[in-house]
Amino acid sequence: MDQFDFIVLAVKTLVILVLIIQVVPVMIYLERKIAALIQDRPGPNRVGPLGLLQPVADALKLLMKEDPVPSNVNKFLFQIAPFLAVMPACLSLAALPLGDFFEIGDRKYLLQIADLNVGLLYIFAIGSLGIYGTLFGGWASNNKFSLIGAMRSASQIVSYEIPLALGVTGAVMMYGTLSLREMVFKQSGLLLGVLPNWGVFYQPLGFLVFFVAAFAETNRLPFDLPETEAELVAGFHTEYGSMSFASFFMAEYMAMTTMSAVMTTVYFGGWQIPYLSDEALFSMIGSRNILALIQVAVFFTKVMVFMCIYVWVRWTLPRFRFDQLMKLSWGNLIPIGLINIVLTAIGLYFWDKR
Amino acid sequence: MSNFSSVYWTQFIAIALIGLGMVGFLIRRNAIVVLMSIELMLNGVNLLLIEAAHRSGSADGTMLVVFIITIAAGEVAVGLGILLNLYRIKHSSDTELYKELQG
Amino acid sequence: MTDGIFIAIGIFTLLCGSSVILCKSPVYSAFSLILSFFGLAGLYILLESPFIAVIQVLVYTGAIVVLFVYVVMLMNPNSSGAYRNWIFMIVSAFLAWAVSLYLLKALTLGVAPAVGGAHALSLKEVATLLFTKYLWPFEILSIFLVVMIVAVFALAKQSKETPNE
Repeated sequence: MDQFDFIVLAVKTLVILVLIIQVVPVMIYLERKIAALIQDRPGPNRVGPLGLLQPVADALKLLMKEDPVPSNVNKFLFQIAPFLAVMPACLSLAALPLGDFFEIGDRKYLLQIADLNVGLLYIFAIGSLGIYGTLFGGWASNNKFSLIGAMRSASQIVSYEIPLALGVTGAVMMYGTLSLREMVFKQSGLLLGVLPNWGVFYQPLGFLVFFVAAFAETNRLPFDLPETEAELVAGFHTEYGSMSFASFFMAEYMAMTTMSAVMTTVYFGGWQIPYLSDEALFSMIGSRNILALIQVAVFFTKVMVFMCIYVWVRWTLPRFRFDQLMKLSWGNLIPIGLINIVLTAIGLYFWDKR
Repeated sequence: MSNFSSVYWTQFIAIALIGLGMVGFLIRRNAIVVLMSIELMLNGVNLLLIEAAHRSGSADGTMLVVFIITIAAGEVAVGLGILLNLYRIKHSSDTELYKELQG
Repeated sequence: MTDGIFIAIGIFTLLCGSSVILCKSPVYSAFSLILSFFGLAGLYILLESPFIAVIQVLVYTGAIVVLFVYVVMLMNPNSSGAYRNWIFMIVSAFLAWAVSLYLLKALTLGVAPAVGGAHALSLKEVATLLFTKYLWPFEILSIFLVVMIVAVFALAKQSKETPNE
């Protein structure tokens, strides 16, 4: 690794980070528009054409506002909590493969910050740290509603980490690897000549469990118990304003992005276009770098589809009650996840000649 | 990284962690912090094992650490469960008040 | 350079470890515990065990310390009277010194020079070992975990029936 490689790595990291952070403003706009569509109203349409500058206006508003620190809070933890929320969300992007590779001269560079051979575990490990922002923020606010929100968040996330891992275990057994990159390669080609060879067709149960648990992990409706505005004002971020609030907001959207990206990578073939292999596309275009751009575009399209499903579910389903939430995890998702693992093991024993 | 000096450094850090955990276990009155000190000691042991596994090239140390981490998770769950029960009776997490446990 | 990073992370870990036992407020102790576990994960990566490092973050910082923080917030203990009296301090300092010295002596005397063929344990090797050489410990561990689940369940149930005086 010489100096040039190092610079490329640094630039690549920066570009990927900035690229994925851009999902946040796009999602702010899409969330409002889709909500408006579902509720049969026009949605934001005043700022810019079609209301497209709304996210900019929102960001400006949040930046301009005063950032108040209430008097009876624990100052250190109160101020560090938003960082604790955003940091893991950014860190977990490191293992996501956005595409195959690009070329500079005759050198190949992966479209991924780091190809870890424990990639999936890494994302889960870092993702589970996001809870500290919520916990410390809620506790330091010195406010009963915030504290209850933080407590709920803790028990919810600890409970739903288990189905999350169980759901994806079937897929991991099938692929025989934890590296997200290799998983994508194993999903190339066709299944029975008609379907793309995606994990979701082998692991429908596992995907279902993972999908539901992912909603709970990211504190989204119908599982947004930590911030239920009807019961807890705004839950753990009641006392936060301005950019501190925006940090929590951003962390939530970035966690959603990560989860969508994991779903895309593990179950929906990552950057691959169905019915069109990378090599076929390459022979059509003739340039590796354009191919890489197309791959990134395909990857982001898939991710955005999942993000829109997140929004769709949010504005369609009512909120769960807390005991129902726990029952869903321990009573339904975990047994289904275990059954899926057993079924996968039986299937692999009989059909897999690896 | 198989040079000799790092071996001593790892052992120094690990032993210091064990020592810190021990001191914390003895001097703190809050039962939760006492449990945390136990975790520190366990982690010191883990570090020693990983270092030994790394140096000797055998897998035993790593596997032992996997088992230790699993048991530590269970241990903390049970320990904190007991603490919560004690707290419900005494309304405090101060170990000085748990004198009845002396038997 | 690796040595420098190693020593820096090690010192960071130790500083956070000492702040675990010195901070008067248990919340700060828990916070320092998170940081020191992170430092340890860094040390594991430098010792070429990325799998253990990830497991460390996943289990210790992602689950165990969450439980600690949860209980600390539930009890909300006051930070007055954090330490025991001076007899404990002296005894503990002496004990820690003696034990550390003993360990240091035992370990540094017994240190074998590094074997050439040291390599990182891949995930596949860990999995294979779990189901071959370490099958029995693994199975016993699963029973152990079930026992723990039952124990915690019993503890939680029991506390509901205890009258709240």
